[in-house]
Amino acid sequence: MADTNSRQETGSSKLREWMAFLFVIAVVVPVLSVAVVGGYGFIVWMLQVFVLGPPGHGG
Amino acid sequence: MKIISTLWNTLKRPPVHISLGVIIIVSFIAGVIFWGGFNTAMEVTNTEKFCVSCHEMEDNVYQELQETVHWSNRSGVRAICSDCHVPHEWTAKIARKMQASKEVWGAIFGTINTPEKFEGKRLELAQHEWARFDANGSQECRNCHDYDSMDWELMSDKARRFMKPAAERDQSCLNCHKGIAHHLPEEMNKGGNPLLADLLNDATSVSANKDTPYYSAESVDLYRDAELTELVGHLTIATEVAVLETQGGSVKLEIPGWRKEKGFGRVFYEDFGQNITNAVLDKDAAQDESLVATRERKEDDLTGLPWAKVTAELWAKKGAYLKGRDALWDTASEIYHDGCSVCHSEPDPEHFDANTWPAMFSGMVGFTNMDGPTQSLVLKYLQKHSSDYVDDGQNVDDGQAAER
Repeated sequence: MADTNSRQETGSSKLREWMAFLFVIAVVVPVLSVAVVGGYGFIVWMLQVFVLGPPGHGG
Repeated sequence: MKIISTLWNTLKRPPVHISLGVIIIVSFIAGVIFWGGFNTAMEVTNTEKFCVSCHEMEDNVYQELQETVHWSNRSGVRAICSDCHVPHEWTAKIARKMQASKEVWGAIFGTINTPEKFEGKRLELAQHEWARFDANGSQECRNCHDYDSMDWELMSDKARRFMKPAAERDQSCLNCHKGIAHHLPEEMNKGGNPLLADLLNDATSVSANKDTPYYSAESVDLYRDAELTELVGHLTIATEVAVLETQGGSVKLEIPGWRKEKGFGRVFYEDFGQNITNAVLDKDAAQDESLVATRERKEDDLTGLPWAKVTAELWAKKGAYLKGRDALWDTASEIYHDGCSVCHSEPDPEHFDANTWPAMFSGMVGFTNMDGPTQSLVLKYLQKHSSDYVDDGQNVDDGQAAER
């Protein structure tokens, strides 16, 4: 009885582990990366609009 | 909430069931796929097919490009949209991609979805690109075209005469080659100077108040009536006026000035004794006392000419007046510097007095490519910054300095 229970638990924790791993790899990290790069681009754009002016020679 | 806490509980512990090796390999592959996907997305959004998938681009600028040398030429090299319009350097490129969110906005809300709307915005859009090319010295042109690789011997004489000095000064290509890939804005096809058109963009709405000075951002036609049917003269650029009344698309202007009391008094000047043109009226209007009121009379000892201080009240169109003259003078100063320094270092405006400048200027202006309206702005700038208006290095721009 206790044996089946622990096997069941093992099974569901294994599933959970895989789900979490794949979710992070396929969704969280890509979304964060795009958000970070996009955010960086947005900040540079806003700087160009308000502070730096259009991108110039090498900078 | 429960899902997130379960996820977090799973993530914060070392894995029990997945081996470290599997994690490393799967993560590595996912990283490769992400990197590849990211770059592919960057490249796809840089293709011409992607750009012209919006009909705004397809129907306007893409068609215009096809008439130019950047579309077909004897060597079979051609430029696609992104070659010229997307910076190649990484940071600037990402910033430009984010900037495209504004283009998505425009596509969704139809900012330029008809040919008329597109033409209406063309000057503004073009000016954004020109400002960018100006700041980076036309870097995107020079990714292909290089001054160092130009063979002067192979150029026509005419081309060499312009290109060689440009190369020496490392000039930005778009300084001269505007409109090389797309049509020029309508304002420019009329022969107008884009810098002057730019000034008009800043023209503000006016409020009728006798004490608020406005300055004309272009030469404005003057009419006897509010319906603007009877043309009686014109106001020159950068002239101070006051708005007495507004009616529909028209404004009633009060134009102050001085004129010579010889002949018909058709020309209004800005100050006593100074030949700085403010307005030119036709003969009948100039003599019409219901339009022109005389305030004061004074004789110029230098020339023996009698002058009269006058004001005219005439109608003109709306939308051509600025709150100050700084933008006008900045533009004029830039044009003056650019036009003259091609051949020689330009004299300071205060090197001559206001009445000497017209002759000096007309003797030299033929060597430049300034059009009529530009010439009158630059001349007025020079006269208003001449020795008559400079006091101890300080420019006195209120018309008081002319009391000689």
